[in-house]
Amino acid sequence: MRVLAFDTATARTAVALMDLEAGDNARPRAVLDLALVDDPAPGTRPGHARLLLELVHRLLERSGGGWDAVDRIAAGIGPGSFTGLRIGLATAKALSASSGVPLVGVSTLQALAVPAHGRGKATLAVIDARRGEAFVAGWTAVQDPLTDVPALAPQVLAPEQLAAAAAALGAACSVIGDGAVRFRDVFVRGGAQIPADESPLHRVSAREHCRIAGLQPAAPSTSIEPAYLRAADAEATRA
Amino acid sequence: MTGLILAIETSCDDTCAAVITGAGEIRSNVISSQQVHDRFGGVVPEIASRHHLALLSPVLDEALRAAGATLDQVELVAATRGPGLVTALVVGFSAGKGLAAARELPFAAVDHLHGHLAASFLRPAEFEPPFLALIASGGHTLLADVRDHGPQLRLLGQTLDDAAGEAFDKGARLLGLGYPGGAALERLAAGGDPRAFAFPAAERMPGLDFSFAGLKTALLYKVRELGEPEAERRRADLAASYQRAIVAALLIRVRRALKQTGARRLAVGGGVAANGPLRAALAELGVELEVPPPALCTDNAAMIASAARYSKALRFPAYLGLDVYATGAQRL
Ligand SMILES: [Zn+2]
Repeated sequence: MRVLAFDTATARTAVALMDLEAGDNARPRAVLDLALVDDPAPGTRPGHARLLLELVHRLLERSGGGWDAVDRIAAGIGPGSFTGLRIGLATAKALSASSGVPLVGVSTLQALAVPAHGRGKATLAVIDARRGEAFVAGWTAVQDPLTDVPALAPQVLAPEQLAAAAAALGAACSVIGDGAVRFRDVFVRGGAQIPADESPLHRVSAREHCRIAGLQPAAPSTSIEPAYLRAADAEATRA
Repeated sequence: MTGLILAIETSCDDTCAAVITGAGEIRSNVISSQQVHDRFGGVVPEIASRHHLALLSPVLDEALRAAGATLDQVELVAATRGPGLVTALVVGFSAGKGLAAARELPFAAVDHLHGHLAASFLRPAEFEPPFLALIASGGHTLLADVRDHGPQLRLLGQTLDDAAGEAFDKGARLLGLGYPGGAALERLAAGGDPRAFAFPAAERMPGLDFSFAGLKTALLYKVRELGEPEAERRRADLAASYQRAIVAALLIRVRRALKQTGARRLAVGGGVAANGPLRAALAELGVELEVPPPALCTDNAAMIASAARYSKALRFPAYLGLDVYATGAQRL
């Protein structure tokens, strides 16, 4: 199965095109191509609107197969930047409607957790939610983020709740994501383990979206919604 | 062009999609208005943007269904690029680019104001340039010298503060009517005396620019001065006098612009064009007048499709890297 995946929940624009083996593990047979445009400087607007379709086009062109060879589109549903999510999902739904390729929504937290998991430890994926908060989801040591519903469901937490969330998942829980870097001190005090700031484990790659999507049935694209995890009213009353 | 043009417009709070023919005949024009902003007394960008994403696929499906068309018949995709709310614009613009990209169709990035002007070009009116255009809505108030069909905007004047529709809405709120309150204010005004109070129409401000902030303040002071029971008793008079001032402010500048340009023809657009007293006053100007039906005056995608006919359509993949713009008229 060939999956085209992208994620625009964080400041990075990530796109991947992958051929998967059949079977329970959705192991990559070939990573056809991977495009990661690194995060823009703080205070600059992410380039999702400009970059996303350019990268998709570049990958499809290099693969040689075009849309006819793609079996599934996978789009990151967040949580993350609201505008980033909408650019990704508006693009994904349009591409799916226009090409006829089925669409799958993939949790960005789940995609972050997959490569960090698997050393017998619990994993907490954390995305910076701005305004001093974090989006989190967690998997225990016996779970597999590739397929399992997270023991700690995706939610938004205040800094003082973060250490407890990691500890509840298991001792020496491994914490990853830009939120892990942002709130490193809080987690370290709680006994969690965090890879070095520059570790690729903290950054979203669309590679895992391909695998996760390969194991899920395609849904009607109208059922795919962003995981905002925060009410829009909050944005309104904040002003 | 023999095929169809599919257009998307999401610059503010209406989610719009339309299908027109290459000759400018409307096949469908779907507008999904969001009524969720009432309790906030204005458009909340985050709420509007969430609704755009949720509504866009069904609105697009409906536009194709109502047109009796499929994507196979679409030869050109268009979407509003700006000006407007960036978070709202990117939803429709991303979708438009995506629809076009997967089929390698050409794509037209349309300026929203060009769209309002191009509403008049659609059939059956086919109001052809040259003409003077007055666009008055909750988002913009401007006078333009329309000499051809193209996207080059020849702006003669615009509002320096509030838009005319905004003035209606703010006045309505001061008088205890809901949001948006333009239509409610007009209804209330129908039973009042437009000469009961003398509100300013910025008559002494020279040139063709508009200003409505002073008018809103004048109403606020008048309501305070009258006191609550008296202001309540004279609400209809207040509404009628306030409306008269807005209409007068628009009329004064339309007259000046007609004189300045020598134009004998006038097209009106924007939601305020639905206002009865304004239409009546414009009809008495003695020029050839075009007021498109309400669905083409308020924000809609048929006008974006119309503008696309006269915009530079980019071939695939030249448009993939385009982004939206919030203000001004950035050209390709
Ligand atoms: Zn408008």
